[in-house]
Amino acid sequence: MKYDLISPRSKDELLSEIKTRQGTPFRFVAGNTDLLLEIKKSKPTDLSLINLGLLDLPEMRSIQIENNGLRIGSLVTAAQLVDHDELGKRLPLLKKAAHSVASPQIREVATLGGNLCTASPAGDMSCALVALEAVIEILSDSGDLRTLPIGDFFHGVRKTDLKENEVLYSIWIPTQKIEGRIVSDFVKIGIRKSMEISIVALAYQFQLDSSGNIQKSGLALGSVAAVIPFAKSACQCLEGKNFNSIDEDTKQEFLGKVMEYAAPISDVRASAWYRTQVLSNITKAIFE
Amino acid sequence: MENKLKVIGKPMIKLDAKKRTNGKAIYGQDIMLPGMLYGGILRTKHPVAKILSINTDKAKALPGVKTIITADDVNVNLTSYRRDHPILKKGRVNCIRDEIVAVAATSPEILAEALDLIEVEYEIEEGIYDPFEALKDETRQINDYIDGTQKNKNISASFHYDHGDLELLKKESSVIINRRYTLPFVTHCCMGTTSVTADYLQADGTLTLHSATQVPFLFQRDLAHAVKMEPSKIRIMQPVIGGGFGSKLDMHPFEPICVLLSMKSGQPVQLTYNREEEFLASPTRQPMVIDLSTGADKEGKFTFREVNITMDNGAYTSWGSTTPFVMMQTYSSLYQVEACKFDATAVYTNNPYSGSFRGYGNPQATFSIERNIDLMAKELGMSSDEMRLKNANFKGEITGQKLEYKTCGHPDALKLVIDKSSYTQKRGQKESGRYRKGIGIASMLHVGGGAKIYRSDGCGTTVKLDDYGYLTIITGSTEIGQGSETVLAMIAAEELGIEMQKIKVINTDSDVKPWDVGVHASRTSFVAGNSLLGAMNILKEKLIVQAKKDMGTGDEPLEFLEGSIQSSSGKVIKIDKLVRNMHFKGNELCSASYFYEPPSKFADKDFKGDISGNYAFAAQTIEVEVDTYTGNVKVLDIHMSQDVGRVLNPLGLDGQIHGGIATGIGYALTEELKIVDGRVLNPNFHDYKMLTACDMPNIEFHPVESLDEAGPYGSKGVGEAPLIPTAAAIANAVSNALNIEITSLPITPENVLRAIQEQTK
Repeated sequence: MKYDLISPRSKDELLSEIKTRQGTPFRFVAGNTDLLLEIKKSKPTDLSLINLGLLDLPEMRSIQIENNGLRIGSLVTAAQLVDHDELGKRLPLLKKAAHSVASPQIREVATLGGNLCTASPAGDMSCALVALEAVIEILSDSGDLRTLPIGDFFHGVRKTDLKENEVLYSIWIPTQKIEGRIVSDFVKIGIRKSMEISIVALAYQFQLDSSGNIQKSGLALGSVAAVIPFAKSACQCLEGKNFNSIDEDTKQEFLGKVMEYAAPISDVRASAWYRTQVLSNITKAIFE
Repeated sequence: MENKLKVIGKPMIKLDAKKRTNGKAIYGQDIMLPGMLYGGILRTKHPVAKILSINTDKAKALPGVKTIITADDVNVNLTSYRRDHPILKKGRVNCIRDEIVAVAATSPEILAEALDLIEVEYEIEEGIYDPFEALKDETRQINDYIDGTQKNKNISASFHYDHGDLELLKKESSVIINRRYTLPFVTHCCMGTTSVTADYLQADGTLTLHSATQVPFLFQRDLAHAVKMEPSKIRIMQPVIGGGFGSKLDMHPFEPICVLLSMKSGQPVQLTYNREEEFLASPTRQPMVIDLSTGADKEGKFTFREVNITMDNGAYTSWGSTTPFVMMQTYSSLYQVEACKFDATAVYTNNPYSGSFRGYGNPQATFSIERNIDLMAKELGMSSDEMRLKNANFKGEITGQKLEYKTCGHPDALKLVIDKSSYTQKRGQKESGRYRKGIGIASMLHVGGGAKIYRSDGCGTTVKLDDYGYLTIITGSTEIGQGSETVLAMIAAEELGIEMQKIKVINTDSDVKPWDVGVHASRTSFVAGNSLLGAMNILKEKLIVQAKKDMGTGDEPLEFLEGSIQSSSGKVIKIDKLVRNMHFKGNELCSASYFYEPPSKFADKDFKGDISGNYAFAAQTIEVEVDTYTGNVKVLDIHMSQDVGRVLNPLGLDGQIHGGIATGIGYALTEELKIVDGRVLNPNFHDYKMLTACDMPNIEFHPVESLDEAGPYGSKGVGEAPLIPTAAAIANAVSNALNIEITSLPITPENVLRAIQEQTK
């Protein structure tokens, strides 16, 4: 196993390194929590690693609060998300998802960008971002930024829309003025309380007006399909309904729609049967 | 004695706590010797296959590769408990751990590259992974190295035990419960991965081996046999051991392989596992299928137990194949039972071979018995706690297997946990809704004063007091984190009346320390403690003789107090002064040696006999909450009571209780080494669900002090007991919460959900 490690300090250095590496095998690395395990297995011999860990680039490292949303740099760690008070108030779902990642030590180094770029259906923070309909902001080696909805970012297990000359820059999460309250949760089903990979995960956020009517809803499913699905039709069937008095037929319709997005597999962690059962049970529990 | 004890019974931080927590402890992989090479093993790619060819040319050509060995390059003997295990395999491989080639290189990176460059051609064969399949007549012989003395070619070991009139007692039973229980592969998960460093000196044919073995003297003999050396030319040095739990009771092939690499290269060689290799190549707890039939009369008195156990031995045989020795005690003697018939068979398969693991068969046996008791109580309409108390063991009991309970805290332990947990009240609560609580109880019996299995169950000790009043204890026993060094120092401090800071424990060098059978069977505080007490008595007698001389006292009683010897008339002399007088005036050093052999007896040919110095008992009640939506079981509260004889170090004991229960909860709920067609599917902590600190429940510990005269200050062995009843109590609690049957472990969320679904069908 041999690899080069390049640690750009500035944006210009980063862009120039990306340019130089075109056509040769290279990877970005930030927190090292996933990638190190991967290269220990794959034993690459001619790989370059562009280490983003020493980049002095505030846009990639900070959480910026704006009126209509939050912008989170791709190098922001899970611990930063957990500790940020304003983020916790406006996006309790993301805070909880970040808090469910691994352990305190790993959260200290694991980045939001790394979680997204790993493109695992079990990515906890990724699942929350899908429910929140985040927008992905991507920087190319020419210095241009392009944006795309998170739904278009994931192409499959470990596959994203990133081109060879691009790096994940930041994540934009649109938020609305809160009139009523936010009902949200990140439900992670696993065996241990920490150091766990989701067997099934459910991320949801309902934004209610002052009388309890659902203004906006988002729901995403982890570990039940190759790509984390946003359960759009399920969300649609709740639109305009009052969260506190949803009738049985609607609940059933909602459950049916959610389950349409699940196509779980059986693996060493759980069977498809179990994933289906649990997803159905925890979806029902949203309204309990 | 009670009022007089000054050190024993007081909480004492472990002697090595600072060293360990400051990162200064030297573990196996921290050892660096001049010119040391890095050794590694190429294991088979397939569980069962013919080896058609091995090509090491490319690896040999790699700069930095010093030595490569295959079975053809070495002159060695078969290894293992049954001598059925070649160190390096040729011709065929029999399980996924099999070692084919070993390499020593100048760096870990070159080693990894060299192992990748070795080419082995296989012809894949069908494996036999089910013990019942292996027992069929038409099945081929799995292990080619055995002599065929057993009744079936694929049986590695079989045990039969019985007492009482089984048929009569069956007839007298009002209730009979038959169940089949299935237990999984689990493994030790030592935090320190396996590492050994061999330093063979070609010049004089001596070997120094830095090995984390639990049994240095048996290991020395085994290794000598394996690599054809004289045992006394092998010096075993034990570094700080990062966890044993039974995993280091056998010598495994990596150890002689490391020695052979050092012999051939003429340089020291270190061989260290990474975590994946640790999961693939470490021994496991015996997976078992237990067919158990138990009966009780109409009053709820137990009548009989009849059990048939099929153990997966794996491809080779370890000490773990003797776990039936321990299991038969539990079936014959945990609670009073008039008749017992026990049969256990260890069956060869092409699975990874199992070994010994804290509890040594007892968690499996206890799980089956305690489940059946709940089922019998239910059938009789009797409460589960009442039935247990009615049948509890008692002081003075001589069991069917001839175990003699000179002290017995079984009833007290049961009563304590029943009372403290409000068991009766909680047990009767009917639960509904998403989250349902339940409570379960289980108890256990385990050897508490060593176990006479090997020819000697003893331990030697030498103590020396220096000119400055510091005591060095040279003990044959081994520290594997259980806290024996601290307990030994406490005993010496108690006896000699000197401060703990003035005591050193030397226990890591086989050339220095006297013989000991090893650290296992919860025996160290008992056997090494008694051995130390024997040596201390001699040492104290020497000091008393000198003190009488120096102080001019006659027969008046003398006492060891605060670093001095004091007479009842008020004369005082410092111990260090006595030692100097002995040394410089009397030309004698102040030292003493003692060898202690426990009073236990060997079992007779029918496995009957009082094989331990005393017996430990424990009981647990465990409350759980089950999420019926996900099947997750949350352990809420544990009440644990254990007859420890006497509490020696409350802090160390607490550590043993917490550690044992953590392993027990893992065994009950989450841990399983998933092995399918001979391959390990989850060789990592991502998917092998060992619990973390966050998963630990509140534990209330209620010690029972039965003051057994055989043990140091009345103590009994404590190490294994805490984990033994845990899985059984949790299974009983989950069953209580949901009214479902549990016959296998681990009780995973998926299994719980399936059971709930079947119930509602």
